[in-house]
Amino acid sequence: MSSQDFIRQSGGLGTKSSYSKSIWRTIHTDPPLLVGITLLCGFGLLVLFSASGGDVAVVQRQALTMVVGLVVMFIVAQFNVRFFRQWAPTLYAAGLGLLGLVLLVGVEANGAKSWLDLPGLPSFQPSELMKFVVPMLMAWYLASRPLPPRFKHLFWSAVMILVPAALIIIQNDTGTAIMVTMSGIFVVLLAGIRWRIVIAGFIMLLLASPSWFIFLAQEHQKNRILTFFNPYRDPTGAGYNIIQSQIAIGSGGIYGKGYGDGAQSHLDFIPESNTDFILAVLAEEFGLLGVLFLISMYLFVLVRGCYIAYAANDTFSRLLAGSITLTFFFYVFVNMAMVSGLLPVIGLPLPLMSRGGTSVVTLFVGFGLLMSIQTHGHNRSV
Amino acid sequence: MAKKWQLKDHEAERELFSRRLVLAAVFVVLLFTALIIKLVNLQVFQYEYFSARSDGNRLHSQYVPPARGLIFDNRGQLIADNQPIFNLTVVSEQVGDLDETLDYLDTLIDLSDDEREQFNNRLRRNRVPFTSVPLRYVLSEADKSKIAVNSFRLPGVAIEPQFVRQYPLKDLTAHSVGYVSEINRAELDSFDDEDRENYGGTNHIGKTGIERTYEDLLHGTVGYEIVEKNNRGQVMRRLDRTDPIAGKNISLYLDSQLQIVAEEALGNFRGAVVAIDPNTGGILAMVSKPGFDPNLFVTGISNKNYSVLVTDEINTPLFDRSTNPYPPGSTIKPFLGLGGLHHGLVDYEFAIEDPGYFRLPGVRYRWGDYTLRTAIGGGHGHTNLQKAIYQSCDTFFYDLGNRMGIDTMHGFMSQFGFGENFALDINYARTGVLPSREWKRATRGEPWYPGDTINSSIGQGYMWATPLQLATAASIMANKGKVIQPRMLKAIDGEPYDPEILDRVSDVVVNDPDYWRYIEESMSMVVHRAFNDVFREYGTAYEAIAMEDPEMPYRMAGKSGSAQVVGISQEILQSDDIQVSDPNKDHALFISYAPAENPSIKPQIAIAVFVENGEHGSSVAGPIAKAVTDAYLLDILQIDFAAMDSAC
Repeated sequence: MSSQDFIRQSGGLGTKSSYSKSIWRTIHTDPPLLVGITLLCGFGLLVLFSASGGDVAVVQRQALTMVVGLVVMFIVAQFNVRFFRQWAPTLYAAGLGLLGLVLLVGVEANGAKSWLDLPGLPSFQPSELMKFVVPMLMAWYLASRPLPPRFKHLFWSAVMILVPAALIIIQNDTGTAIMVTMSGIFVVLLAGIRWRIVIAGFIMLLLASPSWFIFLAQEHQKNRILTFFNPYRDPTGAGYNIIQSQIAIGSGGIYGKGYGDGAQSHLDFIPESNTDFILAVLAEEFGLLGVLFLISMYLFVLVRGCYIAYAANDTFSRLLAGSITLTFFFYVFVNMAMVSGLLPVIGLPLPLMSRGGTSVVTLFVGFGLLMSIQTHGHNRSV
Repeated sequence: MAKKWQLKDHEAERELFSRRLVLAAVFVVLLFTALIIKLVNLQVFQYEYFSARSDGNRLHSQYVPPARGLIFDNRGQLIADNQPIFNLTVVSEQVGDLDETLDYLDTLIDLSDDEREQFNNRLRRNRVPFTSVPLRYVLSEADKSKIAVNSFRLPGVAIEPQFVRQYPLKDLTAHSVGYVSEINRAELDSFDDEDRENYGGTNHIGKTGIERTYEDLLHGTVGYEIVEKNNRGQVMRRLDRTDPIAGKNISLYLDSQLQIVAEEALGNFRGAVVAIDPNTGGILAMVSKPGFDPNLFVTGISNKNYSVLVTDEINTPLFDRSTNPYPPGSTIKPFLGLGGLHHGLVDYEFAIEDPGYFRLPGVRYRWGDYTLRTAIGGGHGHTNLQKAIYQSCDTFFYDLGNRMGIDTMHGFMSQFGFGENFALDINYARTGVLPSREWKRATRGEPWYPGDTINSSIGQGYMWATPLQLATAASIMANKGKVIQPRMLKAIDGEPYDPEILDRVSDVVVNDPDYWRYIEESMSMVVHRAFNDVFREYGTAYEAIAMEDPEMPYRMAGKSGSAQVVGISQEILQSDDIQVSDPNKDHALFISYAPAENPSIKPQIAIAVFVENGEHGSSVAGPIAKAVTDAYLLDILQIDFAAMDSAC
């Protein structure tokens, strides 16, 4: 118990003042996380303004989405984390039900049949829901089992992760399926799965990948992989995006071409410059320094997320907070690596920078959960 | 239950979790490090490369075509103008599905198969990628708006303004000024690198006539523009520009008014008129009739229009009659006569008794006198050189030619430009044939026969000359032997053009300069010697020219000619029952210069008229020469001959 006390006391990052702490606790908000998120949002809107060619309407909509996200975050943070633990199985079952419903009556947009347009509700993507419901369920499941988890539990964990992932893949939304799977896998990894199983699984994945490539991969996926190894095999087709984005990033240099002066983006050479490839715009206009600034802000949020996970006082909270934080990192890294040519193109946005709707709100749900874990857990023990 | 649900060791679990979290943090740092290394590589080490690539993406150098030089006539009237048109152009690299786009355009503006074919031909040519290729020249206003309204459905399709040639005189200048048309594959292949660069922005090139001869002057020098383009190839900004240097404006000696007169004077005949100012060598008129509308070629003549032009085998409008050779007939007689005087074969007194035919010693064949073939027969009787010219006596020249021999004839006649092209800037003109022993052996593989000389001495047989050559010879005659080579170009950008002639043709020198006066007098008699009591003592063209116009204020030196097209026997020609079909009729020719025999003024114009199947040189071709001379001396130069006479 004494170690827990120590952790609890250092939770305020050296702030001894219990007055200010209590105010933030009361409204269930974590100030460092809020600052990091707000900075990222502000920077994101700034870059988006340039990337959209000075389109005020686009920036306004994005700002509105972010405000909605903040409100959602605030609401989520008001719930005690025990509430989510209790309701995790129910939420999961509901999520699966909605995914099933999407298969029947889903609406298609951008090639993915993942939208649900129910009467009386704004249209939304149930697959987004699963991004935080799956880690919630995994945390619920593993937290009540002895850790490190046994093989039996791992098997059921795999089933719980793969069923929604499979349903999302059927919707033709590979990016989200990967995120959902990863968010579940992070829980398992943090829960202390044995290394030999991890290594064995990794080797199996490596061995299976060629047959996936040959038999299962769709044409555009194969193209993306081949293009990753040599963008110039089809410079005006599949390789165009990555070539142009590398040109944008590279020509930005250390200091960048200046805000609003990115020739690549303003002459429309960068496709998806408002969404997946917004990093290229940032890198072109703000240079390496701008990218390092962005990475440091992300790092700040990640460190805070890790701290919340570390400081949480029950296994469910720890696992959930850790998974949310790592998933956030995964998002950031995969997008940046893809845009800079370190990974094949996977259609994932850059969190808080890319223009988006539902997926932005989903991020804030994650932040809300982190704040809930940080504020409620400690409240109880105080 | 206790076995299934083991007691959880919270402390151990927390430690396990913490270890995993630290490990994850290590991974995060490692992956971010990899990312930063990649970014440093891109943005620091490969910065130069990507910076250049970025500029290469957006910056494009494009050609700015120069404005083609204008062409003016002798008195400053525009005869080749540049006119703005709107073209429908396609950048094939920016069009998704070309066939689909063409089909869609077809629904909008009715593309003909012809247009599609020509467009595909243009596409197949060597060209720089991402340049626009014309699909249709001269879009109508209605078509323009249809394209504009649907432009969002037509990526890569644009309406581009362009200046193209326009020839306001149409048919009148079709052959002499020529036309520009699209550069073809063969021309592109013949370009050196410099030309290829210079024609980078040019669609058209001079194909015939002056447009071709002075292509280098008229074209100008290409300019460049550095522009910033977006990913759809639209020009966003102009960053730098090197202005093109427009082609030179040139003035010709050609007088469009005279050109019109000559064309009208030819009436319904096919033929050619060439008029030269003997003092400058300037070509005042050069007409080939029928012509064609050269404007059709500028914007790509349709197959239909083109086939109309090429399938007309009688009129052959594309064929330039002024620079292609025909048998000159009797028009060469004054020159041959001068040669006879110069070489001492005849003098002013020398005469023959003409029986109406000529016979080589020991040969039974009779060379008949064509000028008499339809007349009542018999010969010209006592005939000296002067009468032989104004009466066009064949027998006299048979005898003269026979005694002169082909070598002397060739040597003397070539000084007047027969068998050669004296023109300085009409290099496409044919040289005709001034036959010689060598020529016959080289081309026919046969020796020269005396009979060949007989035929040549009346401008038949192997002898061929172009109307341009005949006009040239007449102008040399008018200049009394001084050769001023014919030329088209008068001035460049208003500066008089005085070309340096490398192989200048030397003047014609005869033993006694009085011979020139004698021949001029004889040629004047062709036009002016009236009928009198004596049988066959009048000039052959008197009835058609001087008698027609008793008020004629100046004297004109002329010579008619009729050239046999096909061999038709005398009996058939003399029979009234048989009609000779038009294309088999003789060609009518006339050469002249004026004013002649005038002490106050030198000859101002030398003319050759060729009338295809016109039959009679004196009565058909002669009046045409008269009309052109009248127009030039009286209307254009406005010479007051009456005042001149009273001054004398």
